[in-house]
Amino acid sequence: MYNNNRRIVLDILWIILGLILIGLSIAEVLDSSLYSGMGGALTAVGAVNLARAMRYKKDAGYRERIDTEAGDERNQYIRMKSWAFAGYMAVLLEAAGSVAAAAMGKTQIQLTLYFCLCLLLVLYWASCMIFSRKY
Amino acid sequence: MKNRIEEIRNQRGIRQEDLARQMQVSRQTISSLENGRYNPSILLAHRIAAYFGMTIEEVFIFDEEE
Repeated sequence: MYNNNRRIVLDILWIILGLILIGLSIAEVLDSSLYSGMGGALTAVGAVNLARAMRYKKDAGYRERIDTEAGDERNQYIRMKSWAFAGYMAVLLEAAGSVAAAAMGKTQIQLTLYFCLCLLLVLYWASCMIFSRKY
Repeated sequence: MKNRIEEIRNQRGIRQEDLARQMQVSRQTISSLENGRYNPSILLAHRIAAYFGMTIEEVFIFDEEE
């Protein structure tokens, strides 16, 4: 149910990528603290996820709990509803923000929000088209 | 949609945790079903009814007005 091996490979990749970014920052190839911070975050996230994946592999009780939570239909319903609500709120907030930015004369912000709003609406429309054919 | 899950479960002395494990869902899902906060998919409804050895109509009470 839960593709643990793929996750382990991805987690190791995040750790390696994070360490490379930290290394390049220390060697001053990348001259920004942004990259060392990003590298540290990637390494930390990868390490935490790798620890979870290893526990999943070894601890049968933990594995059963994770499998149940991942496959539980109420959890899936809640996740789907949360994404739908988040998308709906993003559209409303971007529309409101775009109008507010226009009123304040912040053209760059207005265009960025407007572009994001249009992108979301196009994605929504495309999803509707695909899902109406599928179901 | 109302249901008789809690009533049947109590009659048979089955704990929420055990029913949840058998249905491969979380205990919170069973609790939400019993409280009427969540309506199950037809697959889960079928699994629950089959587990109790009953029909879906005997476990879940469909009310057209809802």
